Amino acid sequence: MITRLGTVSGGPGRRLGGVRIVAIDYALPAATATVQELSRRGQLSSDPAVLERFGFDRVHTALAETPYELAVRAGQQVIERAGIDPLEVGLLVHGGPQGPTAFEQAPSTATSSAAHRTTARFLFPGARLQHDLALERAMVIGVDQLACTTLIGALRVARALCLAEDVETALCTCAEFFPADAGREAIWNCTSDAAAAVLLRRDDGPLQIVAAQHVTKGYYWDADARRNEMIAAYFPTARHVIECTLAQAGWSAGDVDWIIPHNVNRRSWDVLRPLCGLAAVPIWDHNIARIGHTLAGDNLINLADALERGDIASGQKLLLFSYGYGAHWTALAVEA
Amino acid sequence: MTPGTRLPRAVLVTGATGLVGGGVVRRLLESDRDVHVHALVRSPGSAGVLLARSGAEATRITPVIGDVTLPDLGIDSATRGRLSRSVRAVVHAAADTTFSRALADARAVNTAGTGNLLALVAGWNLERFVHVSTAFVAGGHVGAIPESMLSGTAGFVNGYEQSKYEAELLVRASGLPYVIVRPSVIICDDVHGAVTQFNAAHRALRVIHAGLGALMPGSADTPLDLVTAAHVIKGTVALGFASGSIGGSYHLCAGSGAIALGDLLDIAYDIWSRDPCWRRRGILRPALTDLGTYRLFERSVEETGDIRLTTITRSMSHFVPQLALPKRFDSTLADAMLGAAAVPVQSYWGRVVEYLIATRWGSDRSAA
Repeated sequence: MITRLGTVSGGPGRRLGGVRIVAIDYALPAATATVQELSRRGQLSSDPAVLERFGFDRVHTALAETPYELAVRAGQQVIERAGIDPLEVGLLVHGGPQGPTAFEQAPSTATSSAAHRTTARFLFPGARLQHDLALERAMVIGVDQLACTTLIGALRVARALCLAEDVETALCTCAEFFPADAGREAIWNCTSDAAAAVLLRRDDGPLQIVAAQHVTKGYYWDADARRNEMIAAYFPTARHVIECTLAQAGWSAGDVDWIIPHNVNRRSWDVLRPLCGLAAVPIWDHNIARIGHTLAGDNLINLADALERGDIASGQKLLLFSYGYGAHWTALAVEA
Repeated sequence: MTPGTRLPRAVLVTGATGLVGGGVVRRLLESDRDVHVHALVRSPGSAGVLLARSGAEATRITPVIGDVTLPDLGIDSATRGRLSRSVRAVVHAAADTTFSRALADARAVNTAGTGNLLALVAGWNLERFVHVSTAFVAGGHVGAIPESMLSGTAGFVNGYEQSKYEAELLVRASGLPYVIVRPSVIICDDVHGAVTQFNAAHRALRVIHAGLGALMPGSADTPLDLVTAAHVIKGTVALGFASGSIGGSYHLCAGSGAIALGDLLDIAYDIWSRDPCWRRRGILRPALTDLGTYRLFERSVEETGDIRLTTITRSMSHFVPQLALPKRFDSTLADAMLGAAAVPVQSYWGRVVEYLIATRWGSDRSAA
């Protein structure tokens, strides 16, 4: 699945503009499993009927692929379809598992612990991606510990470096898997393995990143121990981050044309939208049932599909919000 | 006591071991050396506690073992006869104030209990029947709530409200010389901020302090009417026995001195933030929202089947919907008869929060 974007003049009033999304792509493992199948395998902690009511149907689970292979595939596709020379890429920001787990096929929970042997832990997928994608002029930075906000974190890092260090083109990639035998549910969300790639460029074209906000609350670093507090913090903090993002963009809630969500349970969005004054704003939620949640970058996968379907018109204002264990709340304002 | 207040020689007080009833007993005894109190208590043990707590005044208290849920309150015939001959006033403060109580259970104490009491005293030649109700008989009504209003057309948030509303109907229809006093939420003993009796409001604040309060209905300017027990006790005795108060209902409320929800949370968060450990957690105020969204959140938590989260939301659900029904209790009549309005909540709310923190919500009162 490839997204190539045409050239549309950007709108006025950008506070931190100047870096735009040129193209987005993603890669999913071939194998899928329904919520009911996951439940039968013991990979869910909740009643599957509850998860179905919350919008989930099917997820992709990697059996034959490695995280690295999917990252390469997503990266190659986004570069080829954007029609750029890999030598134009001055920065690669990669997020995902390090060491052997990045290159293993369907690693098990048992074998993953071997990933931190002394030399093995320096098997960096970001560096190898630079080589395999022929990004000879790209400096490489890895981002980690951002969970489901990793790709948006990569975009923020890349955008900042584009503006601060005159990087013209940056590639952000993220591949995140769970071990094949691991649980697939995190607080009522069903999760797919996936990789996603986003190409950024410093110019005034469409899909400008207008604003970005991120809040980390380290108190919730141990998600199991502080689960209930973390869940309680989710909505007030999400609202705070979204409000700050809109304020930074110079938008009111009424200006937003689309919410491009992370694919957490649909019900949570029904609660969050009115909290933010966004109850009337459409949410592009087609992938919640089809893919479920991914750690690799739901929002960008959804944005790619929304653009591909022609759902988003030039000049529309898009709000991307995501939450990651650890705990991170992040949002982007993007003008199409 | 206000001018024109005259106390009968013998007063029956129900709920005499409770926060308001107990305070009324003390106030009556302090106000007039000639007053004798017959205190309805549910067990000999409670009677002992009451007398021990009353010190030298214990000789002016006669415990009456009884239960408002029983016909004739379960009082034997001889005692009933003795009471009927001497008692000239009743202060009915007994109530089940648990917001989460099922309507049938709340009715058994608050409505049927009031009915049993009214039936018992019907032939007693009473000069006063002082009924301690609640301002929240207003239920789902919003906006300005006059003291004279009693209407169930807007429905109720919980069984407590409805059962107390129904009790007021019984009192009004009794033919007795009644006075109805309606406290709002008693948040502390007096303006110094100490708390003797903890209720759902304190528990909700504790949930928020613990970082477990995700959503609440309401908005930053939603008025919260809180009062001190001292104001309620003083007002119950003063208004209950004031000349010209018979047949009236009176709001013992903060009225115009209510505190806005946003201010209440701001003050609490400012005080909590003095603790660097608490501050580092970065706990935000609960997101304030409309009732529909709050109910959806509640329902979603229920659907997940998560026991801990469900317990938390259920502990809030029996009263926080009132926050989505903003109301201002008019206390003009009560304030005029008392000669003063209740102390504005904002002036002492910080001391309540400090007390709750210092005593760890009452578990270590020696720290206060």
